Amino acid sequence: MDPRVRSLLMARLNADVSRRRFIQGAAGMAAVTVLGTGAVSAAGRKPAGRTPRGAQAGDEIGGPLNFLGYEGEEAPNVSKAFLEQNGIVMQPKYIGAADDALTQFQTGGRGQMDLMASNKDFQRGVLDAGIEFMAPLDMARIPNAAGLWPAFKVAPWVVRDGVQYTVPLIWGDEPCIYDPAKWPDGPPARYTDFADPKWAGSLVWLDDPYTNIWLYGRSLGYADPSRITQAQLDAVVEAMLASKPNIVAYGASLGDMVDIMVRGDASMGIGGWAGQLAIAREKGKEFAVASPAVDGTFYWSDAYAMALDAPNPANVYAFIDFMMGAEPNAQIAAELGSGCTTAPAWDLLDPDVQELFPYDTVRAEDGGVLYSQQVLPPQQPDGDIVNTGAWTDAWQVFKLS
Amino acid sequence: MTVRPPAGAWRQLAPATAFYLVFFGIPLLILLVLSFWRQEGFTQVPDATLGNYAGGLTNKLYVTVLLRTILVALVTALIVVPIAYVMAYLMRFRFERRANLLLGLVLISLFSGYLVRIYAWRTILGTEGLLNTALLQLGLIAEPITALIFSPWAVMITLVGLLLPLALLPISSSMSNVSRDHVEAARDLGSNGLRLHRTVLLPMVLPGVGTAFAIAFVLAAGDFVVPTMLGGASGGTMIGNLITNFFRSSSADWPLGAALSFVVLALLVIVYLVTTRLLRWVSRR
Repeated sequence: MDPRVRSLLMARLNADVSRRRFIQGAAGMAAVTVLGTGAVSAAGRKPAGRTPRGAQAGDEIGGPLNFLGYEGEEAPNVSKAFLEQNGIVMQPKYIGAADDALTQFQTGGRGQMDLMASNKDFQRGVLDAGIEFMAPLDMARIPNAAGLWPAFKVAPWVVRDGVQYTVPLIWGDEPCIYDPAKWPDGPPARYTDFADPKWAGSLVWLDDPYTNIWLYGRSLGYADPSRITQAQLDAVVEAMLASKPNIVAYGASLGDMVDIMVRGDASMGIGGWAGQLAIAREKGKEFAVASPAVDGTFYWSDAYAMALDAPNPANVYAFIDFMMGAEPNAQIAAELGSGCTTAPAWDLLDPDVQELFPYDTVRAEDGGVLYSQQVLPPQQPDGDIVNTGAWTDAWQVFKLS
Repeated sequence: MTVRPPAGAWRQLAPATAFYLVFFGIPLLILLVLSFWRQEGFTQVPDATLGNYAGGLTNKLYVTVLLRTILVALVTALIVVPIAYVMAYLMRFRFERRANLLLGLVLISLFSGYLVRIYAWRTILGTEGLLNTALLQLGLIAEPITALIFSPWAVMITLVGLLLPLALLPISSSMSNVSRDHVEAARDLGSNGLRLHRTVLLPMVLPGVGTAFAIAFVLAAGDFVVPTMLGGASGGTMIGNLITNFFRSSSADWPLGAALSFVVLALLVIVYLVTTRLLRWVSRR
């Protein structure tokens, strides 16, 4: 494996487990209040390669492009030639959790950040809350985005009130990863079937309340597992407790999950990612991915956005348009073990890579499961529907039981 | 007679004091202010509420985890400190000529990263790890011992392994100041074995032992990586894991996290003071 690709995959695998599902941003207002806005702004301001005013008022391509997002999604390998040809200097900063970007933005980062990359649930939550964070996009400056799959043109984390705020880059699902030598038939039909004693000493779960509660909620038949009552949440915890005797460990990250399985301490992981297969292969282990036949799994997607008051908008538009091109979009999807977001890119993928993900989902005119599916519960209680706090407490109760 | 610090002492202390004030004192003050605020949606709202402290102390889950954390930290420290004490004694009075080499061998593990050492323990304790492989090869066991990894035992063993070098340093330093003449004089006067340690050595190295206990106890109580990586499904959650969630999750509640942090800080100080007072009392009897 190319060392650069491995480095990118390792960073992704060892990132915070919830980075795909965080919608919460914290403002860090204590520092502002105690020390004074001016002092904190001065302390937080970093030399981010601002384009000199007057010389390039944001309308000319070239100069710095300040990226804040998941490592790898600034596509250093894919975009190298493009950046050189256009005199753009990528200046990346990486986040572990999606809300890191909002925190940085609100504590001196506004006016310093250009391009951002984050997950759909976080972006949707920001749009729902009406927070000033992502800039409306002029899609006329991203002509390649016309190739986006239908699901990515109408999704609620992409478009709001007729205005587009994000441009999806990659997507994927959250399957089980397993050792086919031990489990040739793969995972059972339902997540609740993991309570069978035959799975004793085999299971490793991602240490993430949202993944596991959602999946078990799906297994219990809840139409929308992200919106459940306290009684339903209690039922989910009971169902998870039935499987708990068979759990060996909780993976702190996707990479940690693979490590536990490669060491032979577990052989079936819940809440995995296709990219884990490559890392396992490099360590001499051949694993496989699959989802329970009846319950299925959920899907995620990461998208580009432009920060409000971005100092280099021309570079942002040029870069996003480039990444929406057929070849770059196909390359980044293959590099990160994910699905591509444009139809022309799909045509360039190898047949076996095309089969990795259910593209019929994203071809759907009604937006498919990515449009309708949400993993995270509401931030605040909504009538009987419990919020994220209730889920994290339930998860801790489950782990302590 | 009052002993005054030498002239200019405060000036000499000023850089270090300033450093701690800026990088420790002020952030702590910010956290303290934050602990009285409220979380509303995505933001923290200035307020003067005790609700976070009340919520933290009356939540059964948090109290359970807090008590478990104190217990684990206490047990870890009570294991680490005696081992470190014995090692320091042996290096000072039995293997004096090799003391630096032995100390170096113990401290060499600190040269590697914290996470690297935790993964090393996984390699040692794992189902297909070094220990199980050796025992299987020697024919001492027929099946790997799965309880060695991803269990409370694994957490305890790893914490002891990680903290022992740190605890050894202050005790070793105190022990190096104990003259061999004191030990020989005590033996001549009939003090041997345990009594020698309790009545002569321990009072002399008490500052080092107290520091070692503080290091082991506080670091064990605050650790959230070892329980995450090695605690397994059987319950590796410590208070640090809970507090981390409040600052880095979709249910972020910085004020509650800050309040819990200060509750933990207060409890750790109380436990530390009680334990060191107890040590002092034992050494005076």
